[in-house]
Amino acid sequence: MEVLKILGIGIVTCLVVIIVKQVKPEFSVVLLITGSCIILYYIIGYFADILHVFDNIIVKTGINTDLFTTILKIVGIGYLIEFGAGVCVDSGNPSIADKIILAGKLIILIVAMPIITNLLNTIIGLVQ
Amino acid sequence: MGIEIIFKIAAIGILTAVTNQILKYSGKDEIAMLTTLAGVVIVLFMVVNMISELFATVKQLFMLY
Repeated sequence: MEVLKILGIGIVTCLVVIIVKQVKPEFSVVLLITGSCIILYYIIGYFADILHVFDNIIVKTGINTDLFTTILKIVGIGYLIEFGAGVCVDSGNPSIADKIILAGKLIILIVAMPIITNLLNTIIGLVQ
Repeated sequence: MGIEIIFKIAAIGILTAVTNQILKYSGKDEIAMLTTLAGVVIVLFMVVNMISELFATVKQLFMLY
């Protein structure tokens, strides 16, 4: 049922953007941002449920939780970067979107760095 | 949090466009420019609040502090 609501909002936003683009072009970008915000509001609830399920699984399996929080962080950063890049592409300047995506990749690499280092340490520990 | 925000922003856009035309024909171009600015500022306030709320929820959800 939720899918229909999201579809409806998306289509209505596109139509309204077309109308407003003729009358007042500045508002079309703002409308796109609003539409995507509303859609994201509806699906954030699902994200929360999925993460709770993963939390339980992780707690059961006993893996140290900071691994899971890093993965969560990476997913969150990827999610936000994709949102920003989409808005930039919609508003007609893909160059800024590429820069945002590059910055996102770098930030994700930085966030993932601790995992790589302690992986290397464990390997070195095994070898010696 | 629904579709009415989109219609509200569209209404403001069309209203500013209409007031622009009226002011332009009555010769007051500067005021027309100001009404456009006012319209954009109002709409931006609404959208900025929404975006900050969204980013706060995402930050809290993904533990991105």
